[in-house]
Amino acid sequence: MLKKIHIFITGFAGICAGLIVLLFTDGLNNIELVGIACCAGGAVWLLRYFYTESKTLIGRLDILERDYKLQREKIMQAVMEAKDYKLQAQLLKRQKHNTEAIIYSINDAVIVTDINDRLLLANAQAGEILGFDANNSVLKLLEDLVSDSDIVNLIKKSRQGKIRDVRHELEFETKEGPRIYECIISCIFDENAQICGAVSVLHDITREREISQMKNEFVSHVSHELKTPLASITAYAEMLVDGEASDEKTRKEFYSIIQTQAQRLNRLIEDILNVSRIESGLVKLNKEPISAMLLVRDAVQMIKSYAAEKQIEVEEKTAIVFDQVLGDKDMISQVIINLLSNAVKYTPENGRITVDGEVDESEQVVRIKVTDTGVGIPAEEIEHLFNKFYRVKANNKYAKGTGLGLNLVKQIIEKLHGGRVFVTSSVGKGSCFGFELPLMAQKVTV
Amino acid sequence: MENKKIVVADDEIHIVQVVAMKLRNNGFDVITAQNGAEAYELCINEKPDLLITDYQMPLMTGIDLIKKIRTVQELAALPVIVLTARGFAIEEDLQEKLNITKFLSKPFSPKELLAHVEHSIGQTAGK
Repeated sequence: MLKKIHIFITGFAGICAGLIVLLFTDGLNNIELVGIACCAGGAVWLLRYFYTESKTLIGRLDILERDYKLQREKIMQAVMEAKDYKLQAQLLKRQKHNTEAIIYSINDAVIVTDINDRLLLANAQAGEILGFDANNSVLKLLEDLVSDSDIVNLIKKSRQGKIRDVRHELEFETKEGPRIYECIISCIFDENAQICGAVSVLHDITREREISQMKNEFVSHVSHELKTPLASITAYAEMLVDGEASDEKTRKEFYSIIQTQAQRLNRLIEDILNVSRIESGLVKLNKEPISAMLLVRDAVQMIKSYAAEKQIEVEEKTAIVFDQVLGDKDMISQVIINLLSNAVKYTPENGRITVDGEVDESEQVVRIKVTDTGVGIPAEEIEHLFNKFYRVKANNKYAKGTGLGLNLVKQIIEKLHGGRVFVTSSVGKGSCFGFELPLMAQKVTV
Repeated sequence: MENKKIVVADDEIHIVQVVAMKLRNNGFDVITAQNGAEAYELCINEKPDLLITDYQMPLMTGIDLIKKIRTVQELAALPVIVLTARGFAIEEDLQEKLNITKFLSKPFSPKELLAHVEHSIGQTAGK
């Protein structure tokens, strides 16, 4: 800087000195030449000053421009980053909404808690099961919200134990009564593998438990039902082999028992197989024009010996005008036999069973009704009667069974033949089970 | 010597008949019942030497029958053979708890049943 001032002053002084010399001299002589030289030297020094000054200025301008560009880039970058943050924030917000929407739409109860067991998120199902307001309970301690200490302690234990995934079975009292839930608690870990909370999912397994229980009971019932006739067959066969039946009459009686028990066994196996076949759609129907009335007559004859064991009278009131329906003879027979054998099972000794058959011209159906003087069915159980494996608890003591017979009746009549089953009952007085099948156009009179 | 008396209870009439015949053929006196309530009355009135009962019966199950007779002082030590067609195993502690002599699964052999009867009552019945 000092150097530049020096050049400027020297140049300026040279020009001034040259001009003074030229002003006070007259004519071209050596002194005037000195003045001109001083002016020229001063001018050179001044030019030199301006030249260095301009270079500095250009350099400064360059730096300024570079700085400006740099700043502009930085600003642009910052703007871009800001935009990116905004986008990311929007994305996060959207993701949060989506996650919440997913959680709220799950049928299972979902509870998300933080490291201090405070509620972060819970869907309505969770609130309903555990009895708190899912919308206004965020950041409240779970133990303050949920009265059931089991689940609160389980979540706490899982979190403290840093267990990644744990399953428990819990029972809660709900509006619909006691329900069983499978409770899956999973700990949440952050990027540093530090635990930051827990997600608990409650899945209602009451129905599964009921089905499992029904299946177990079914296996037990089926086993019992299969073994019972088998026990008679085995025992009577052994008696015959060992010569314990001394006379021909006794032997014949034993043969007859073995035969009827074998038929009973076969009916049961057929029932089980038919339910399975119908359900899986594998049933092969052999539909032909048949008369339900005639099948009723055959079935009544078949059931009479079974009814006689309990001194039950079986009366048949079928119409003279025989119906014609399009059906599978074996299956419709099975339906009638199932209804008749049920009537015998649940009618006390010395009771009465009436079988009615009528052709309803106006409805274009044939209607078969089996009415007994049996134990009857409580009104609240009637709607469940045709469910698979369902057995009327109050009537279990009167007879054994698999809970398949009536389900099969319904499936054969309604699913396979387009008919309708019906039932009326009065406890202590008796029941009436029946079915309708659509008539074929043609009728045969005998 | 008087014949030993046995009460046989089963809701399956054919089972009752075949068991009764096998036992009678071998010198036992047999009284039959077709449900638990009937069998209980017989046990009270007849004071049998042995009870053979089905597990599952109408009105009163075989197990309920045994529980009830165990409350009667004279029947507390009555030997009991249970016939069962149940699909699942009998609760292990039930046999000991109710002092049940033998569980016999259906289908059973009348000969095998007879052997258990003779073993339970302690001596072969005189024919």
